[in-house]
Order: sequence, then C-alpha cells, then structure tokens
Amino acid sequence: MADTRFRFHDELETLEQKLLSVADQAEQMVEMAVDAYTEGDLEAADRVIELDSVIDQTYLDVHNAWLHLMARQQPMGSDLRRMSMLLHMNTTLERMGDQTVNIAKMAHATTGLPRVDKIAEELREMGDLVRAMVRTGIEALVRRDADEARLLPAMDEPVDRLNRDMYQEVVKAGSDPGRLEWAIKAMMVSRALERVGDQVVDIGEQLAFLLTGEMAEFDESGLGRSDVQPG
Amino acid sequence: MPFDTDQTEKAMTRDPEEYAIRSPAESTSPPPPAEAVMRIEDMDVFYGDFRAVKEVSIPFAKNEITALIGPSGCGKSTVLRSLNRMNDLIPTARVEGKVMFHDENIYQRHVDPVEVRRRVGMVFQKPNPFPKSIYENVAWGARINGFKGKRGELDDLVEHALTQAALWEEVKDKLTESGYSLSGGQQQRLCIARAVAPSPEVLLMDEPCSALDPIATLRIEELMMTLKKEFTIIIVTHNMQQAGRVSDRTAFFSVDVDDRGQRTGKLVEFDDTDRIFTAPGEKETEDYITGRFG
Repeated sequence: MADTRFRFHDELETLEQKLLSVADQAEQMVEMAVDAYTEGDLEAADRVIELDSVIDQTYLDVHNAWLHLMARQQPMGSDLRRMSMLLHMNTTLERMGDQTVNIAKMAHATTGLPRVDKIAEELREMGDLVRAMVRTGIEALVRRDADEARLLPAMDEPVDRLNRDMYQEVVKAGSDPGRLEWAIKAMMVSRALERVGDQVVDIGEQLAFLLTGEMAEFDESGLGRSDVQPG
Repeated sequence: MPFDTDQTEKAMTRDPEEYAIRSPAESTSPPPPAEAVMRIEDMDVFYGDFRAVKEVSIPFAKNEITALIGPSGCGKSTVLRSLNRMNDLIPTARVEGKVMFHDENIYQRHVDPVEVRRRVGMVFQKPNPFPKSIYENVAWGARINGFKGKRGELDDLVEHALTQAALWEEVKDKLTESGYSLSGGQQQRLCIARAVAPSPEVLLMDEPCSALDPIATLRIEELMMTLKKEFTIIIVTHNMQQAGRVSDRTAFFSVDVDDRGQRTGKLVEFDDTDRIFTAPGEKETEDYITGRFG
C-alpha cells in the first residue's frame, strides 16, 4: 500500500524515537537518583540534574516540532491519536525528569546524615519497581501492545503501597535528629517515585487510546472505564 | 429505525483482529438521528450495464450536515445526484433500491422529478448564475415554481433568500446588475440564494467551494452552519478538512475493482464526523484519512 504521506509519517516516527530515548534516559535517572539518596552519592545526584537539562531541551524541541506538524499536516485518525499521545508523553516525560531531580536535590540536602537502612531498602525496591514499569511502558509502545500497557496499573500497585506505608517506617526511625531528618526527606523521595509510577501509567493510557480510539483512565485491572469486561 | 438496513450494518461491523490499529469497541453505531428527512435504502446506480455505485444505505438527519467523502471515482457525486433525480438527465442512468424523502420513494413512477428538485435543491461546483440580474437570478426559482404573488411579495422573497445566503448587504444596492458582475464567492452565494428561494427542505452541494479562494470558502462554510438551522444539507467534498469543519456526519465511499477491472463505488463507513476523523471503525477509512492508499 502506497503511503502518500510518508514524509509526515517519518517525522512522526522521528518524534516518537526521540521520546523513547528520553524514556530510556528517565529510567536510568530513576536508578541514579535512588542511588544518590540511599547511598549519599552526590556525583550521581549531579549527573541526574545534568541529564534533566537535556530532557528539558528535548521537551522544547519536540514541542516545537509537534506544533509545526499539527499546523502543517492536520493529522486525522490514528495519526491524530498518535500526535495526542506524543504531546502527552512529552509533558509526562519532562515531569518524570523533574521528579528525579527532586530526589537528587534531597540527596544534596541530606549530605552526611545517617541513613535508615530499612527505608533505604524500601526506596531501592520502589526504584526497581518503577524502572520495571518504565521498561514495560517502552516495550508496550515499541510493540504497539495495549495488553502490555494494561499491566502497568497492577505494577504500580506495590509502589503505591510502599509509598503509603512509608510514614510508618519514619515513625520507627527513632529520635536521633539526623536519622529523623533523613527519614522525613525519604518520604519526599518516596512520593516522587510514586508520581513517576503514575506518570508511566498515564503513558500507557495514551498508548491504549492510540490503539483502540477509546480514551479512558485505567483502573487497577488495567481496564479503561469504558472498556467492556471480557466474557 | 433508519440504521437497520444491511449495508449500514455491514459498514458498521468490524473485526478488531483484522487491524494493526484496532477499532474502538464502542463505536459500532452513531446515535440515530432525530429524524431522517431523506434515506437511501440499498441503492445501486447504473449507467447502462455499468454499475457505478452499489448497495448504499444512508439516513440523512434533519438540520444536520452530512458530508460524502472518498477518492475520485468512488461514486459520491453519483449518490448526491440520485437524491434529487439529477441522474435522470443522463439517458442510460438507472437507480435500483429506494431513495426515501420522508415516507415517499422519489423514484416511484408517479413522482414528478421537477417537484423533487424544488424540495431538494442543489448547488454546483462552479458558480453558475444565469446571464440575468442578481434579482432575476433569485426570483427565477420562485417563478418556475409557479409563484403568483405580487411584485412586493417577490421582492420580499428575493431579499429573504439573499439574506439567508449572507449576500443581501453586499448586493442590495445593485440588484439590477448582472450576476456576472459579482466575485466568484459572491456568485456562489447567489447560487445558494437561488437554491433556497423555492424553500426546499434539503440542499445538495456538490463541491461548492472547489472553485473558490480560501476566504470565500470559509464564508460558504460559515453560511452552511447557519443554513442547517433551516435546511438539511448534504455536501460532496474532496476537502477532508472541510468535511471535518462543517459536517455532523460523514459517509466515506471507496471503490471496488472486479476481475475485469470494473470499478464500483461503495459505502465503507457512515458515522459521526468526530468519530470518522479521530477513530474510524474501518481500516479503509483509516487508510484514506491518514494518506495510506494506492
């Protein structure tokens, strides 16, 4: 079948590839940011902040390219839905970058403070879970697999739970002011990771919209509200 | 129910597994129009032995704009012309199936095609005013339909039609000048005034903007949005953006080619315009609107 709009479709593909590499980078930044906080690795923290400025630049580039395409190509059908997905992804990935920067800043703010091992362990677990979500989101996108995207809410559930229960660990941190300050700031790290998880779910919803034409928020089972329950 | 004919059902049914980009689960049928003024039911149009269009069923809702789109040769203009028996003017043309206007099939033997065309007016691709004054261009429609009122009443009718066509303010001081003295866009609005003067219920528009510049085009589109309050409009357009801007519902036509290379137009999908242009149900529609066809 002849694609009479191949230039436009090539440009769409280029935009998507750019965003996929941003997602790839965001995954690495989550890892670095968690290391920075849990191990006091300030070099990793600085690297996260540096990489975020690259994401910010890509965000602007993609936004401008997107506007040009919209104005000049007036996409329809799946092209239009893909444009919608790319615009959302661009914003969401930029915010994911910002969340990792928030974590990196916490690492700087807690330099030299004693850590609480149990909390550090849980943050690392959250980081691993979130990174797996980012990978799943990327794979679902590359394979155009809505079913895989629908796994994301279930993957997000333990992240939410760890975040919800984090304050109990803080309460257990004891009365040492240093440990307590580190533990309290760890709650903000936990919150940032929880947000990244939600943001990956958002991208999954956009992918489902591209593939099905139905825009709906996933519930915990990964079904959109307007989806029909299978048999 | 206007949507229960076979063809419409066929056009609305899809197997999601067939497509890489899957179809929305819930878009199988548009909300039924409040009242279908016209309804094509399982219609084929032939030119001699050649079947130009096959198995078309579409309801046209009152006070809505329905756009007919599709590639060249898909039969959309043939379908449009079947709605006021303009195909009768081609000796070999033959229509099978029904074209219902309210409860009457307009192809029944006793139906007068002239009366059909009074109630289903038409605006053509190229503005085609008569070589007469602006006033006479509009008054003509009323006259041939046996208008017997006084001169003052005819004046009112002309003013009303020109106002409906958003042309009155521009021509009220030069009604005796030739229709040809107007710009292309004005001439097309004059033709719209001429078409609405006999108070039809339905207005057919065959590529009404393709000979006009973009500003004149936008004016006609705005005018259509106003006119649909009083008329039911059916438009054929090559311009998908135009269909997207003005229409409530869209019918997408395509072409089947048989073993002998014969090309027959068919209805692929009929749905809300929003749906057709964001998440169409049929792969053929999707390919067309995203530029993948060959």
